[in-house]
Amino acid sequence: MSATKPSSFASLHDVELCSYAATGEGRAFGELARRHGSAVRYLLRRMGAQAAEADDVAQDAFLTAFQRITEFRGEGTFAAWVKRIAARLYLRRLQRERRLTELAQEGGDEEGDALRGDADGRIDLDEALKALSKAERLCVSLCFGAGLSHAEAAEALNLPLGTVKSHVKRGLDKLRARLAPAEGAALEGRRGNG
Amino acid sequence: MAETDFERRLERLFAEAPELPDCVAFANGVERRLSRGWQTRRWLIGAAGVVGGVIGASQLVLSNLFQRVENAEESARALSVSLAQVAPSTELMTALSGGVGVWVAAGLAVLTLGFALSRVIEEI
Repeated sequence: MSATKPSSFASLHDVELCSYAATGEGRAFGELARRHGSAVRYLLRRMGAQAAEADDVAQDAFLTAFQRITEFRGEGTFAAWVKRIAARLYLRRLQRERRLTELAQEGGDEEGDALRGDADGRIDLDEALKALSKAERLCVSLCFGAGLSHAEAAEALNLPLGTVKSHVKRGLDKLRARLAPAEGAALEGRRGNG
Repeated sequence: MAETDFERRLERLFAEAPELPDCVAFANGVERRLSRGWQTRRWLIGAAGVVGGVIGASQLVLSNLFQRVENAEESARALSVSLAQVAPSTELMTALSGGVGVWVAAGLAVLTLGFALSRVIEEI
């Protein structure tokens, strides 16, 4: 990598930006935050965080990522790496505020909000997730949004592996029932338009 | 198989998060907090340097350093006077390494040769 700093970081690849960030270049890391900030914030909202809380945790996650940037070896994507950090930070916050225990004790039969579709009857992931209980939502988001394995999620949530697996299974069943046909139709619609 | 397909689709849906309208403000916030962190660190390092300097200076004063430096000066002066007294003996060394030294070496060589010859004659 050249020693000269580019005037704009927008054209650089994530890995290059990480290299600049590792030298303490805050603007390069700012570009990474601009690119992946929304994805991280969405993940936290999908895990059940309120918008303001999600933003706080996402900022903390990016600052933690900056401090640990040398640990990022580019084996996965940068976004996936930050999402994992953010998910763990959010869980730690829940644990600190003793909200995680409530979630863990929550039964899986509890239904979430009633499902609402948009004007075309299309249901997006965020709407579909509302149909899940908080624990199911958390487990599904951890496993499919943050990329944690069931065992990692169980460890992070301090729950038995079997409990996490059953939360994920129930969550997937609910999502499949609500999302799959609509998503399939949406995909077909996109193909038809394309 | 259908289950795996659905799980992949779900992963894709999670990954395809739309860009939030305030993503630039969010990134600016992260940058601001980063630079604030650097500034705090700089201030802390500076403050630690000042405190360290003050402690170091006070320790120097308290340990009578200046008195010790004066003593060291006196010792150095005494040493140089002693060395000046030793200097005459160096004249002998200079003489030895000059013409006298050569004659002494030659004499020793003659003696050694004589000793060696007498031993050889005795052996024969």
